[in-house]
Amino acid sequence: METTTTTLTEPIIKEPRLLPGDFAIWFFIFSELLVFGIAFLSYAIVRVQNVEMFNQYQLTLNRELGAVNTLLLITASYFVVRAIHAIRLDDVKGCIKWLYAALGCGTGFLLLKSLEYYDKFSDGINLSTNTFYMFYLSLTMFHFLHVILGMIILFAIAIKAQRGGYSAQDHIGIETGASYWHMVDLVWIILFPLVYIIR
Amino acid sequence: MSKLYNIHTIWLAMLLLTLTTYAIGKLGYNGMAIIFLLIISTVIKAIFIIRDFMELRGVSLLWRVIMYGWLLIVCAGITIAYIISL
Repeated sequence: METTTTTLTEPIIKEPRLLPGDFAIWFFIFSELLVFGIAFLSYAIVRVQNVEMFNQYQLTLNRELGAVNTLLLITASYFVVRAIHAIRLDDVKGCIKWLYAALGCGTGFLLLKSLEYYDKFSDGINLSTNTFYMFYLSLTMFHFLHVILGMIILFAIAIKAQRGGYSAQDHIGIETGASYWHMVDLVWIILFPLVYIIR
Repeated sequence: MSKLYNIHTIWLAMLLLTLTTYAIGKLGYNGMAIIFLLIISTVIKAIFIIRDFMELRGVSLLWRVIMYGWLLIVCAGITIAYIISL
């Protein structure tokens, strides 16, 4: 694999290239995006028939936690990008540091989301409370599971990196995990305004 | 390409767009213009992720069409549904 010698302040990519990471992960990513896309459109379409109810119960969601969680996921993705830049420069320690920083952000996301769920479940809210909460809980919990899977992948990559499994010449595994993590971030980027903000 | 366009400024821009989205929600603004503003903000962040974080800039046109096509269909569908319900 070609070694990248660009610095972080230079344009990120200069040449045509193949999809980053293992080609197989992209079919998984496209499948996941298809499922989430259908779910988002379903939410929007069902809302058309229940506008008042969706607007009323949307106000019960904790926008602050939603916004902080968005900042955490964006920052986690940024840290993963830094990890890839580091390994391309053969900076294994830097790569590991950024991967654990991303995992820290992911952990923060899971904790805040759990707090949000605890708050809702304490109020007796569940999937059958109404259509809005059915969508809110199923969409965000489905995404929650993807965050957990993404973190397991990042953790496995960090462990392998600690054992010397990656270098500037061979880091396709990191790119594969990073692509999946960015997909998880991409989905939340749409989910946050859709469920918490737009009305 | 300007050196201001790099991974750090992209990250900061996404943080600012997120805070703007939150502020709009907090202030309770709504209406067609606000829907467009929020969707455009979301699309910009999504393009940053696809293009610069996922590094799809410069890959085969097929893959970019799939990714940006998905984004376009989802965001256009959401926009239309929300405008209908105004």
